[in-house]
Amino acid sequence: MSPTVLVVGEVQDGHLAAASREALGVARSLPGTVVGFVAGSGARAVADEFGRFGVAEAYAVDDPRLDGAPVGARIPSVVAAAAASGATVVVVAGSTLGRDLVGGLAVRWDAAGATGVTELTWTDESLRVRRPVFGGRATETRALLGGRYVVALRPHAFPAPSEAPTPCTVHALPAGEVPPALLAPERTGVVAATRGSGPGLTDASIVVSGGRGVRAPENFRLVEELAASLGAAVGASRAVTDAGWRPTSFQVGQTGRAVSPQLYIAIGISGAIQHIVGMISSRVIVAINSDASAPIFRVADYGIVGDLFQIVPALTAEVRRVRGL
Amino acid sequence: MEIVVCVKPVPDAETRLRASPDGRTLDPEAVKFVLAGYDESAVEQALLLKEAVPGTKVHAVAYGPAPRTEEVLRSAVALGCDQATWVDSGPDATGDPIVAARALAGAIAGLAHDLVLCGKQAGDDESGLVASALGALLSVPDFSCVVDLRWDAATSRFRFQRPVEAGLESWTSPTPFVVGLQQAWNDPRTAKLPAILKSRKATIGRATAAAGTGGESRPEKFELPPPRTGAKMIEYRTPQEAAEKLVRILREEAKVFP
Ligand SMILES: Cc1cc2nc3c(=O)[nH]c(=O)nc-3n(C[C@H](O)[C@H](O)[C@H](O)COP(=O)(O)OP(=O)(O)OC[C@H]3O[C@@H](n4cnc5c(N)ncnc54)[C@H](O)[C@@H]3O)c2cc1C
Ligand SMILES: Nc1ncnc2c1ncn2[C@@H]1O[C@H](COP(=O)(O)O)[C@@H](O)[C@H]1O
Repeated sequence: MSPTVLVVGEVQDGHLAAASREALGVARSLPGTVVGFVAGSGARAVADEFGRFGVAEAYAVDDPRLDGAPVGARIPSVVAAAAASGATVVVVAGSTLGRDLVGGLAVRWDAAGATGVTELTWTDESLRVRRPVFGGRATETRALLGGRYVVALRPHAFPAPSEAPTPCTVHALPAGEVPPALLAPERTGVVAATRGSGPGLTDASIVVSGGRGVRAPENFRLVEELAASLGAAVGASRAVTDAGWRPTSFQVGQTGRAVSPQLYIAIGISGAIQHIVGMISSRVIVAINSDASAPIFRVADYGIVGDLFQIVPALTAEVRRVRGL
Repeated sequence: MEIVVCVKPVPDAETRLRASPDGRTLDPEAVKFVLAGYDESAVEQALLLKEAVPGTKVHAVAYGPAPRTEEVLRSAVALGCDQATWVDSGPDATGDPIVAARALAGAIAGLAHDLVLCGKQAGDDESGLVASALGALLSVPDFSCVVDLRWDAATSRFRFQRPVEAGLESWTSPTPFVVGLQQAWNDPRTAKLPAILKSRKATIGRATAAAGTGGESRPEKFELPPPRTGAKMIEYRTPQEAAEKLVRILREEAKVFP
């Protein structure tokens, strides 16, 4: 029997987040029916957007209490939507919120769960997932068992689906019983991410990172200008964040952020293992370094041996020229 | 304050990865298992809180097979954890993090726990599932990607931050709750030799995992990528030529140009 697949949508700037559209595309590639789900204030209007991608039915929990609450407060709503729709598979985006839902939902809904999934197949009534492990140094395939499954995707591992507009019926659901303990923590503030700093980093499809090779904080603008020309996020090695040239939110690596963009450009970064584990699963890696024996060239797809102070400005100019900027 | 810190034995970063003979999992033969990555930071954060808040006790808990799990707990004790509990998985654990969380929750429920500290993700499976599963199992809130975790005695709440896609969130929470820690205030400390020697004789509490219910997963295949053959080097005479060649490659060959 084909499963009903519930896609948990996330709201970004009042719309269905790009990452959730990726999740929707993946759900559509499975056999079975896809239904949508959105929770939080304004959920109803966002749930409507599922129709643009061929989803005829969606569930909305329009409850502002969920916006500033810990992720656990959302789980009763997802369980309720799964029950209402008869879904046995839940697919969420590889965002922080998406990943955070999986463990709790697996527990509350008696499901098998997996995160960071790059391939998803439905065979013999069960779901098989493929996912990178060990910082992208290996890949595991697991069979999820038990009849109910919840998976979070790896960010940027899937293309966004094409539009296929259809009328979408949105069912309103109550948030369900949220235990008071889950409403006791308080989110006291959010400092919006500026493009190119830390958080945007894990989201970006291109990341340009600089290392100690840039030599001084004021030279880091070379890295930033190249990033700007590509519409990329800016990252850094720990040598840079330790020196205080840029905040730790920029750091890529074992003790920083793990990124997996389509394109990663490492500038003046030697390629220490602690840096590599944070970027090795990028699709294409480019390294610019004056030392031809730098270990970064062993993991890069393309390399330029040269002085970054000459190469990077030339590259920024060429990118701008080609993109008509 | 009673802090529980969850530590998982994971292969040393230098390990040459190899598939087991049946091809389903990592071959554990000859692998050195250590306390590493985010778990080291979680232990560091627990010890920093212990130093900052008088009367704090830190209890390390780990689920897994002998002998590596007991050894990783001994390293936690050598670093300064007060007590340790090993939840024995037996030899054929599936490596499913939700199953691990159920076993850990069984042990943690029997311990005083104002704060449960996990690493953001384990160095091997990198699932980031255990903290959120523990939150649900213990019926307390859970937070991933936590940094700058501080106890505020005046309000009896913890204060912390979370770098997420939308920006840097600030939170306060009463105890108890579960944290998936992204970064401690300091780099993890290393154990001193006398403490290491003493930890060899420390008593490690033992619990057996209760038979679980609910979903689980089984490993089917462990694959290593073909070795990266090294970068294709771009030959050039001028920086402009290097730039033109790279942009052409990114557009036409790699197809990653925006
Ligand atoms: C527990 C632990 C955790 C760590 N976590 C992280 C982490 O999360 N992220 C991280 O990045 N590191 C981390 N590190 C540090 C890591 O080991 C390296 O020290 C660090 O990545 C080095 O940064 P770098 O490559 O910028 O500097 P370096 O290693 O000093 O490399 C600088 C590079 O710039 C090149 N260069 C110099 N001048 C030029 C020029 N004019 N043009 C072009 N190239 C030039 C040099 O050839 C060199 O390869 C960690 C270390 C430990 C022990
Ligand atoms: N077997 C285990 N024993 C103890 N703690 C664990 C175990 N597995 C995971 N954890 C904890 O949960 C965190 C996240 O693990 P994971 O969800 O597997 O990525 C780890 O950093 C540990 O703190």
